[in-house]
Amino acid sequence: MTDSDQTPPAGSVDEQWLEQLLVREAREHRDRYVGDEGFSARVMAALPAPVAAVPNWRKPVVTGMWAIAGIAFAYALPGAVHDVAREAFVLLSAKPFSLSAIGAMVGALAIVTYGGAALALRRD
Amino acid sequence: MAVQPAVTDAQLIARCVVQDDRHAFAELVKRHQSAVRACLRKLTAGNHALADDLAQETFVLAWKNLKSFRQEARFSTWLYRIATNCWLADARKRKETLLGDRDADVGEEDDVDPEPGTASSPDLARATALKLDMERAMGVLSEAERAALVQCYHNDLSHEEAAFVLGCPVGTVKTHVFRAKQKLKAALAAWAPNPT
Repeated sequence: MTDSDQTPPAGSVDEQWLEQLLVREAREHRDRYVGDEGFSARVMAALPAPVAAVPNWRKPVVTGMWAIAGIAFAYALPGAVHDVAREAFVLLSAKPFSLSAIGAMVGALAIVTYGGAALALRRD
Repeated sequence: MAVQPAVTDAQLIARCVVQDDRHAFAELVKRHQSAVRACLRKLTAGNHALADDLAQETFVLAWKNLKSFRQEARFSTWLYRIATNCWLADARKRKETLLGDRDADVGEEDDVDPEPGTASSPDLARATALKLDMERAMGVLSEAERAALVQCYHNDLSHEEAAFVLGCPVGTVKTHVFRAKQKLKAALAAWAPNPT
C-alpha cells in the first residue's frame, strides 16, 4: 500500500495522528532486517527427502527385457499360445454363458487391468 | 536504488520446479526469510518463536506447492498468503487468548530494547512505550482485522494484493482495515495529540 493510499481524506484531522503512527510504524517494520541466524538451514533440513529419480533409460530397458522374455517363451514353447487359446475356446464353447456372466467377466478383467496399471504407475 | 539480483525469483523457481534444485530454493529462502518472519512476528504480536515455527512451515509448504505457483502474483505475495494461512490455522488450533501472555513476550523479545545508558532518553523511552502500546493494541484486533492491517501497512501491499493474500474480496479488506483503525484509535487514545 502506498503512502498516498494511506492518506486519510481531507477533513479527517481527527484520524491523521493514527494514520501517521501506522505509516511510521510500518516503515520501521519494513526497514528492519531479520537476520538469518541459521533459519534458512533449518528450513532446508525440514524439507521432505528427495524422491529417488527414475533414470530415463529405465523404461526402454524394462520394455526391451519383457520383449526378449516374450520371444524366448514363444521360442522355447512353440505352439503353446495356440494350444492354450484352443483349449480355452473349447472349454468356453462347451459351456453356455449368459450375457450377464460375460459382462461380469469383462468388468472383472477391466478392473484387474486398470487396477494393475494404476498400481504400477503409483510405484513408478 | 535497489540492486537487482543476478538471478530473478522466477528463474530460481523454474530451477526448483524443473530440476528439483534445492540450492535454488535455499537462495529463495534467504531472500525472503526476513520479510516472511517479520510479517509473522507482527501477526503473532511479537511471539518470535511461534513466528519462526510458522515461517518454517510456510517455506516447507511453498516448496511442496511450488509447481502450483502460477506467477499471478509476486512470489513474496504468494509467500505472505501461505504464511497468513499458516498463522490463521495455528490461531484456530490454539484458540489463543490474544492478550494473554503478550506483555511478557513483548518485553523479552522486543527488537528495540533500549541499550544500557540510553534508557533515560525521553525520545527512546517514548518510542519504546509507543511500540509496546501498539503491540497491545494489535492484540485487541480480530484475526482478520490484524491480518488485513499487516498486509496493507506493514507488508506494503495494495488492497488487491491483500485480498489475494487473505482470500477475500477487496471490499472486505477495506472493511477490516477500517474497523481495525477504529479499534486502534480507541486503544491508542492516550497517544492522540491534545486538541488545542
